[in-house]
Amino acid sequence: MTGSRPRYRRLGALSATALLWAAFLAAVPAPRVSAQTDDGTDDSAEEQPRPPDAGLRAARDMADAARAQGDSLAAASWDSVAAAEQAAIPEVPGKFLQDLTFSPVGGVRANVRQYTLYSDWTTTARFGGSASGTQVLNWSLEEYRKQEKTVENRKGSLDYNFGKQLPMVTIINSNWNWSEDRTTNTAGFSNLYKVDNKTVNLNSSQHKVNALGLTNSVRVGGNFTDQASLNQEQRNDFREGTAGANLQSGWEARPGVAIVGRAAATATGGTRLLAGRSSPSSATGDSLGVGIYVKRGIGTAFVEMTRSNFEKKYLEFRRNANGLIDTVGVPEDQKVVSELETRDALAFKLDYKLAYGGLKSEFTGTHLTDDLQLATGLSGLKQREAKEANLKVGYKAGRDSVSVAWKYGLKWDDQRIQSATVSRGRQYVQERDLLMKWQRRLFSSTRMELQYHEGLTQDIAQDGFNANDKDRLTRDFSSRLDRAWRDRFRTSMVFSWRQTQDLSIRGSSSSNNNFKDSYELAPGFNWKLAPWIDLDQSYRLYIQYTDYVYSYLAAVTRKDDYNKRGDLVTKITCRPSSRLTVTIRHDWNRRFNATKSTEDAAGRAFYQRDLEQDISKIDLDVTYAAGPGITLEAGTYRTRDEKTSPGRANSTSRTDSGELVVGGRVDRKFGRMQRVQVSAMVKKINAFGPSITASSSDFWEADAWLKWTF
Amino acid sequence: MAQVDVLIVAGQGPARRATVACALAGLLTCLLAGGGCLLQPREAEPPQTGDIVVYLEQIDPANTWDNLQTSAGAMHAPGWEAGISSVNFLYIPDSAAEAQFPGVFDNWGREREIRFINALYNAEVTIEDAVMRNPGFVVPPSSGSVSVWENVIYDLKVKSKVDGRTLRYRGSAIITFTLEGNFWYISEWRDQQGESDPDTEQLLPTLGVLRGSFASK
Repeated sequence: MTGSRPRYRRLGALSATALLWAAFLAAVPAPRVSAQTDDGTDDSAEEQPRPPDAGLRAARDMADAARAQGDSLAAASWDSVAAAEQAAIPEVPGKFLQDLTFSPVGGVRANVRQYTLYSDWTTTARFGGSASGTQVLNWSLEEYRKQEKTVENRKGSLDYNFGKQLPMVTIINSNWNWSEDRTTNTAGFSNLYKVDNKTVNLNSSQHKVNALGLTNSVRVGGNFTDQASLNQEQRNDFREGTAGANLQSGWEARPGVAIVGRAAATATGGTRLLAGRSSPSSATGDSLGVGIYVKRGIGTAFVEMTRSNFEKKYLEFRRNANGLIDTVGVPEDQKVVSELETRDALAFKLDYKLAYGGLKSEFTGTHLTDDLQLATGLSGLKQREAKEANLKVGYKAGRDSVSVAWKYGLKWDDQRIQSATVSRGRQYVQERDLLMKWQRRLFSSTRMELQYHEGLTQDIAQDGFNANDKDRLTRDFSSRLDRAWRDRFRTSMVFSWRQTQDLSIRGSSSSNNNFKDSYELAPGFNWKLAPWIDLDQSYRLYIQYTDYVYSYLAAVTRKDDYNKRGDLVTKITCRPSSRLTVTIRHDWNRRFNATKSTEDAAGRAFYQRDLEQDISKIDLDVTYAAGPGITLEAGTYRTRDEKTSPGRANSTSRTDSGELVVGGRVDRKFGRMQRVQVSAMVKKINAFGPSITASSSDFWEADAWLKWTF
Repeated sequence: MAQVDVLIVAGQGPARRATVACALAGLLTCLLAGGGCLLQPREAEPPQTGDIVVYLEQIDPANTWDNLQTSAGAMHAPGWEAGISSVNFLYIPDSAAEAQFPGVFDNWGREREIRFINALYNAEVTIEDAVMRNPGFVVPPSSGSVSVWENVIYDLKVKSKVDGRTLRYRGSAIITFTLEGNFWYISEWRDQQGESDPDTEQLLPTLGVLRGSFASK
């Protein structure tokens, strides 16, 4: 009987996981594998068929949307339209120069801080073989209103994309950045900070080349930088060249499963001049990584591990043990040192996403270690490690939706100062965070949302407490009810509670330990009185109690207290015509602060008011669409702030502040081909109030430019 | 008809089990919220006599700003953190700091500011003579819910415990305070330029350089 008895063997945790994983892989249908590229993009996007004018349509849609919203960046969107339009023009066979476009732009900007004059010149050329070139010149002059400061910038760039002229995707770009920043501080000390930087980059890449049963991507590149700079009459120049290569190979182990390996290396060489001392500089770095990627019917997952390190030799100002430049009073020959910096880092990442019916789940886990060592600098060796795990689970069924998110993080850093025999000791930060949400449609058009959150952050010193050893605990609960009473009336009610605990662990700092409990009740409504008029009103009642943990001790001078605030906001929006919008808003709030004075035998607390404050603010905004692309705007507000401090003799103060803004916007195109574009936003602002300085009381806010494309 | 709609409970169909599951999850949420049993902070040591950091209530922008000075003087991070807006905070460096640490200050919000101040206080340094506003600066009274301070000059001396050398950071800034709930918080810190050492007239770096040094490596 013993021989016929089935033999069971206990599965170890590892074998059980492997078995489940294998069953999972075998059960679900296998889609196409897409290995990730180094920059995290998915190559599969490249293979999606696109209609020839899809990019043009998308660019036009985005630009139209931005323009419809009166976005000042609409111009940028229109640039992308122009680029897409150009790309959509079919190529003429046998012709080298297909197309040449010039776009000069000139404009002025102004705001409360600075005036800026600027001009740009962009030249775009299309060549045969899908090659293209772009040359951009920028100039700007900034003058600061609140400081004695002017900045002049000159920039230039020239890019050339070889398109199909070469077998690999090859791009050359060169940049020139020049700037002069003259600043005079309040003591009259003037400083000139100058930078002149020239860079040339060449990058060549080839994606998805099948060889030896592997899918390979290769990228090689190089750059050369020549920079000269001057700050506080100290020169800091360098001339360096860098070459690098990157190889990625993927193997489709089975449908839906890919194993990818990556290797990268860079080398830099050149010379550096710092504060009169010149020295060769160099750097070498390499990186190795491996990843497993799974993409199946109901989920995706990947595991990645990357190890990278570098070694750099360069000139550096003398720094202290905290890495801060420290050259005051140091002999000239010791202000600059030759530094050797080495770094070793390891990163591990695990990620999965799963969706099945209404259930969604996501997990991310990371582990990072990083050692940075300076051979000369007093900082010595710095070590860091960080672990983090995030889990999110959500479930949606019928009228309910529930989600839970949990986060755990533990990181530490340590330092061994140069020439020290022992390390400082690890400083840990541990974080835990839980967030739960429940949304439910209670009745037709009535929605409820409940949320609970709890988070604890702990600063923990190794081997005993230090002065900053502390815990911060936050708990909050909120509930919200929204109801749409037909189309014209909507109501909402919010209740929230929040508790914050600030606890220093060490006795030398714990006298300030406190719990803060805040309660908030906020009912509100939105009523469409007529198609052309809306009324919004909300009331907010807020109260916060602060209990000092050790307020009962005679040595602790902190007293428990409370703070209350009531806030009533009323807003009326009128649209008497399609061109005119008028908004009136009144914000009235009252607040009290009080400190606990006594407590009776029954435990009842009595508080004494320290401050009573009333703030009343009224706003009026008018917008008028005068014509296509032309909008006039005006706005004003006035605030009255009254404070009373009760005591033996009540002291009362009142301050008034306000602002008036008048201006307009224009966004028009002219000419038969709409090649001339004008965009202007101009506002005149006058303000008054106790914190309004001369430079803020009367100023222009503007952004106006003219662009011509030919 | 709207009143009738309110009384109609829809969805008695196949989603009932899911509904029950959701209701249970909601109930669990409420229980956890009420009990507060998920995460527990550590037990703190009772205060020691003679080392109490007294902060001002942030009912005025001046109190909020002066609390940074108290925090720096005591190297007590919670005081700095309490002054930084949790809704919306942005640090904008001066051009010299930006040029020295390109890209480091992109999206410098509350989280990075807190990381910086904790890293500074945990480093082997002491802070001497922290003065967050120059004596000649006239504090404007607050009005409404936003207050802007222009050209306030701060001055901090950071001494290394390793070699005993002191570095000084002095800069002028534009600070924007916002009233959130019932308290004032710093919502924007825009460094303008480094200021000169009043003793040696040497140009000093802003706190942007200190932030950049801790954030870059």
